[in-house]
Amino acid sequence: MNTATETETDTHAELVAEIEGLRVEIDGRAVVDGVHLRVRAGTVTALIGSSGSGKTTTGLALLGEYPAGARVTGRVRAPDGLVGYVPQHPGAALNPARRIGALLRDIARTQVRHLPRRERARTAHERVLRSLALAQLPDSEALLRRYPHQLSGGQQQRVVLAQALLLGARVIVADEPTTGQDALTKQRIVERFTAVAREGIALVLLSHDLDVVHALADEVLVLRAGRVVESGPAARVASAPRHPWTAELLAADSALGRTESHTMQADAEPEPHPHRPAPVLTSGPLTARHGRTTVLRVPELALRTGESLAVVGRSGSGKTTLARCLAGLHRDHDGLLLLDGTPLPRSLRDRDRDQLAAVQYVFQDARAAFDEHRPVLDQVARTAVRLRGLAPAEAAAEALATLTGLGLTGDTVRRRPDRLSGGELQRAALARALLARPRVLICDESTSGLDPVTRRGILDRLAALLRDRHDLSLVLITHDLDTAALADRIAVLDAGELVEEGPTRTVLETPRHPFTAALLGRTRRAPSGRTA
Amino acid sequence: MRSWLARRLLLGIAQTAAVVLLVFALTEALPGDAAVALAGDQPDPERIAAIRESMGLDRPVHQRLLDWTGGLLHGDLGTSLASGRPVATYIADGFGPTLLLATLTMVLLVPLGTGLGVLAARHEGKPADRLVSSVTLGLYAVPEFALGVLLITVFAIRLGWLPPTAVGYGTDLLAHPAALVLPVLVLLSRPVCTLARLVRAGMIDALASPYVAQARRYGVPGARVRYTHALPNAVTPATQQLARTLDWLLSGVIVVEALFVIPGLGTVLINAVAERDLPVVQGLAVVFGALTVVLNIGADLVAHRFAPRTEVAA
Repeated sequence: MNTATETETDTHAELVAEIEGLRVEIDGRAVVDGVHLRVRAGTVTALIGSSGSGKTTTGLALLGEYPAGARVTGRVRAPDGLVGYVPQHPGAALNPARRIGALLRDIARTQVRHLPRRERARTAHERVLRSLALAQLPDSEALLRRYPHQLSGGQQQRVVLAQALLLGARVIVADEPTTGQDALTKQRIVERFTAVAREGIALVLLSHDLDVVHALADEVLVLRAGRVVESGPAARVASAPRHPWTAELLAADSALGRTESHTMQADAEPEPHPHRPAPVLTSGPLTARHGRTTVLRVPELALRTGESLAVVGRSGSGKTTLARCLAGLHRDHDGLLLLDGTPLPRSLRDRDRDQLAAVQYVFQDARAAFDEHRPVLDQVARTAVRLRGLAPAEAAAEALATLTGLGLTGDTVRRRPDRLSGGELQRAALARALLARPRVLICDESTSGLDPVTRRGILDRLAALLRDRHDLSLVLITHDLDTAALADRIAVLDAGELVEEGPTRTVLETPRHPFTAALLGRTRRAPSGRTA
Repeated sequence: MRSWLARRLLLGIAQTAAVVLLVFALTEALPGDAAVALAGDQPDPERIAAIRESMGLDRPVHQRLLDWTGGLLHGDLGTSLASGRPVATYIADGFGPTLLLATLTMVLLVPLGTGLGVLAARHEGKPADRLVSSVTLGLYAVPEFALGVLLITVFAIRLGWLPPTAVGYGTDLLAHPAALVLPVLVLLSRPVCTLARLVRAGMIDALASPYVAQARRYGVPGARVRYTHALPNAVTPATQQLARTLDWLLSGVIVVEALFVIPGLGTVLINAVAERDLPVVQGLAVVFGALTVVLNIGADLVAHRFAPRTEVAA
């Protein structure tokens, strides 16, 4: 727990920020308790831990920002006004009504006040362009005139990073910069942050993505329930964890890496089913469009009862569009959908109650999928009232049972969504879908924003569900091959085309299509973590 | 953007055409016709028939519709039955005072409503906010005629500071600004409340947003954050409301014009209805309808600028 004695990395680097004995209390509950943190110029300090462990609260403390109504004790020393922040969803930090250039110009303007009036605008503009170049954003003149929604997620992140660089930040706090990104994008993000650290800027990385932590961090602090349970040089923590929780985090992460002999079916039944069950959901050849652009073209697909199908591909490959077509959320397509052999209307609006209940969707962003003003339990129970006609009291009882089965306590789910962590909400979203008693459950990147322990937990639940409910089939939309490995079959999408489809083992061990091979090559982690 | 604009304009043209058809159909549906109205108190069937023939009212419906819409396309709104003057001159006469009142009201409304809204949002839950919120709510509850009568009683009759009506000033109201004060106050009263409350709600959301936090965090001065980063997000719902207000103002606020005896479009409309001067009523209805369509296109354009992500229905 004592950072100072253990710090073997460059102790000569200048100490730019420091937190001592920080305790943040909300409503009498400590979200961060006794955290010590030292941040040195040009190094990367990673705070790891599952969601709700106090990473973000600690990171924001460096910016002097605390949750509303928090009681704060302890000492935080950071360069005043020179701490940058790259939030988890960089898009939210960009003003939807203003062009990218607006805030950048305003930041630059605060720095050129000492210059003669005539030179201010020109100097400010030059500074803006330089910061964009540093953040690896080419063609910046055109970019400055764009609106945030006209940029990709990666570009948005780089713009937010450019804001911090323009500020001249000595410390940059990056909150989950790689969450929900595919392997190739992650690689680029790692390179970008390495370059930032090389500029002599201290980077504080809040992450539960251990791959990225291995690749970037010099120092690691492991947080659990607001306390630092272990800290030290990254290589030492990875190779010889001293605290059992760290070991568990590392183990959960590598368990996901084991792709062999761990499919859900292998768990469920040792022998392949002698009679293949009837397909529950089939789609004929399907071409989907957004406006005039064709975004997806897949041949016939069939999902059998009790089967799980993983749809894999990079972001933008059309996997979410496929899921949305099946769920009735995207109707601009020409495929014929059959549920148990009867045609399923293309649009949600034309589906009757049973058809709605039969195909359920769990969204990637669970927080956005809940109404922030009503308790989670009520919202979960509502599904059973609406789609199965249960009485409210009955529905509430069933909702509570399902939620408890997924590891959430009654206390937690009676709160409103803002009091639940991302992982808890994702489980609640799953429970809500299950309350419809679906035949087909579609999970769209449902586990990508979660830490390894939580992710492992949810995937185990899904496997158990498939085992217990024989009439349930699962569609897993994911960019993560480790997650996909848990399904019976894998379909690989690239640029809207289905490039490969088959049993999981076949696809993973003997990929026929070069794209699948390339995807496999990137995702397979190195056998051991990075050694110093 | 260009295709969006084209679609929006096409929709506007379709809406205007629909307004024209509707106005014609409604006039057709009225019992009796212009000839009956003109025949006066002792309707003599022969006289009615004669008038019908001279006005072409005996021709089939579709021919009259074609004639009328053809005239509209050339800017010919028809001829008044009461005076024989072209309808366009009625509108031209009444438009001056109405436009003047509308312009003055809008010029005062936008800064006042926005300013109060921002002020209340900055001090959310504090005395300044409570004062603004309760006064706007209370004022909104008072109808125009009641407020007008109250203001006239206090400022014109009791105190004698301002003229009670615009009687005797003709259409050149600008030469007599004192006569404009009370009508503009009455016209302002409710729109200010709506605008202030909309801006307040939008600003509270915008000020709590991550992008405003980011701007503050990076040292952008407070006023600049409020007016150039938060406000653009807060005014989108307000622009649609402003278009509605301007439409209301330009279509001649009948109650206010009648109360203060202002010879604007509202007064023209009332007189035409009283005289059963159907062509004038029809002409005004078409002009008001077209105005509504144009103003809403304008509001959608502004909203599109401030909220570039939202697809404004087109």
